[in-house]
Amino acid sequence: MKHKKSSRKSFRQQWPLYAMALPGVAALLAFSYFPMAGIILVFKQYNFKQGIFGSPWVQPIYKNFSFFFNNLSTAMRSTGLTVMYNILFFIAGTFLSVAIAIMLGEVSSKKFVKVSQSFMFLPYFISWMVIGAILNSLINSETGMLSQIVAKAGGTMPDVYALPKAWIPILVIVNTWQSCGYTSIIYYGVITGIDASLYEAARVDGATKWQCIRKITLPLLKPTIIIMFLLSVGNMLKGNLNMIIGLTNLNPVLFPTTDLIDVFVYRSGVRNGEMAFASAISLYQSVFGLILVLTSNKIAGKFDEDATLF
Amino acid sequence: MKRKTYMSDRMLTVIFYILLSIIALVCLFPIIFAFIGSLNEESEVMMNGFSMMPGKLSLDTYRYVFETQGSKLVNAYKTSLIVTIGGTVLSVVITVMYAYVITVHDFRFGKVLAFFAYFTMIFNGGMLSWYIVTTKYLGLKDSYLAMMLPYAMNVFNMYLVRNYFKGLPYELIEIAEMDGAGHFRILWKIIAPLSKAGIVTIVLFYALQYWNDFYLPLMLINHEEFYSIQYILYKMMANIQFLAANPSSSMAAHVVLPTQTIKMAITCIAIGPIILFYPFVQKYFVKGVTVGALKG
Repeated sequence: MKHKKSSRKSFRQQWPLYAMALPGVAALLAFSYFPMAGIILVFKQYNFKQGIFGSPWVQPIYKNFSFFFNNLSTAMRSTGLTVMYNILFFIAGTFLSVAIAIMLGEVSSKKFVKVSQSFMFLPYFISWMVIGAILNSLINSETGMLSQIVAKAGGTMPDVYALPKAWIPILVIVNTWQSCGYTSIIYYGVITGIDASLYEAARVDGATKWQCIRKITLPLLKPTIIIMFLLSVGNMLKGNLNMIIGLTNLNPVLFPTTDLIDVFVYRSGVRNGEMAFASAISLYQSVFGLILVLTSNKIAGKFDEDATLF
Repeated sequence: MKRKTYMSDRMLTVIFYILLSIIALVCLFPIIFAFIGSLNEESEVMMNGFSMMPGKLSLDTYRYVFETQGSKLVNAYKTSLIVTIGGTVLSVVITVMYAYVITVHDFRFGKVLAFFAYFTMIFNGGMLSWYIVTTKYLGLKDSYLAMMLPYAMNVFNMYLVRNYFKGLPYELIEIAEMDGAGHFRILWKIIAPLSKAGIVTIVLFYALQYWNDFYLPLMLINHEEFYSIQYILYKMMANIQFLAANPSSSMAAHVVLPTQTIKMAITCIAIGPIILFYPFVQKYFVKGVTVGALKG
């Protein structure tokens, strides 16, 4: 749509627009802006009765942050885990979904593409709770199907629910399984948009399919991959609490590898009411998250004006 | 134009077919596994674990679940349906209206409202402050509304619809306005019908979000009468974990439930509607994501 400057209209003509925006504005105020104001929590000696705004200020004002620095190792562990998983998820997810998209682009049967795609999206439609329950029936050491198969093959399956290290590969595999079909849509969209004459010309010159993929498809996917990477950098500090609750039920034994920032804030702040430290780490996450989003968006905009998130 | 065909090309295509089939099956497998798992017999599971080829398929678990916890499950299903249907209608109406408002050019606050929504995507107050605001100040606890209102407006979905609106010729709005049509009429009669694919996509996104949600119940629900089906599953998994960690606890003594197969039965009950509707909605999904993914 082209932008046309026209004269401002009166309130009488435009009242419906105000009415239409009102519920959305109310929802954003209540659930986004009001909590932003609630960030001052970090400077408060919080008690439930007086709430965020009524509770007294802490003395000295930076006291809650001293919790943060005194428990720096916990904060850093959560930060490190969150960033590590986001990077691993990105690498594994991108690799698989690009591979899927390329393969889908090469097979000629439209019916096959449709059917296999619809199977691959299915995991994206399923809740983390359900995935966790199914995973449990596969890998728990007593009744899990995989454990039984391992046992029959003469090995013993360790009790993964008591083995923190096992969860790094498990989370990466499950996350990739859940999202690869969904992400591949984006890359597949780019591939179907590539000018077919490029391939024609290469074929005439005697290129094999494999060469076409390496010399034409992959280079043309590169900008999209870079943009997706930059966008994921913006979310580097966001941990998926739903995933961890669904898959591990916040099993404390597994915290060494599952205690993401969001998990930590949930269990210490929401569950145990330890507001001081939780609010400090929460503020740190919000502020650094904002910096990351702004920076990565700016860089993404330099690559491609259309590619920024908004 | 003569095309050379290489032996290696045919091989590659065959390999691609095989790999894609494997990936598709791996994606499908856990769902089939859950279904067959729920038909396993508990005694066999306790002895030999879950199996894709159990000695005997039985509906005993479902019978047991419905006999002992039937009313609980029916109530949870009711809760999930109320929240999903009510929440989706509410969210879609709010989101579509907002998207329309920021599409209209000569509205004084259009730009302000667009930024007002955008800003919430890049900055937020964090879970803790959200939790206190929602429970203490907005009083959203233990009600259906508590599981709907916080998701009333998803800014990503709003931008997705806005992009569809932007793709339409703006003259549609201008001409209708000249003919004296009000904005509600224009949106309802002209713009919305022409953006059907986009609106169907966000209906799908919202419905999935509400049906699959256990975050809001986890945060805001204590009373059993408001447990959704996902939350029942969560509680059940928590109990199983508790029993596994404390085998000698007093709870374990009088809980002799066929927990393993029940877990799979409730899983199947929870994904049932998704599998049922999936064939009808997945074609919209591809289009919706392609439009919405990069230009959010």
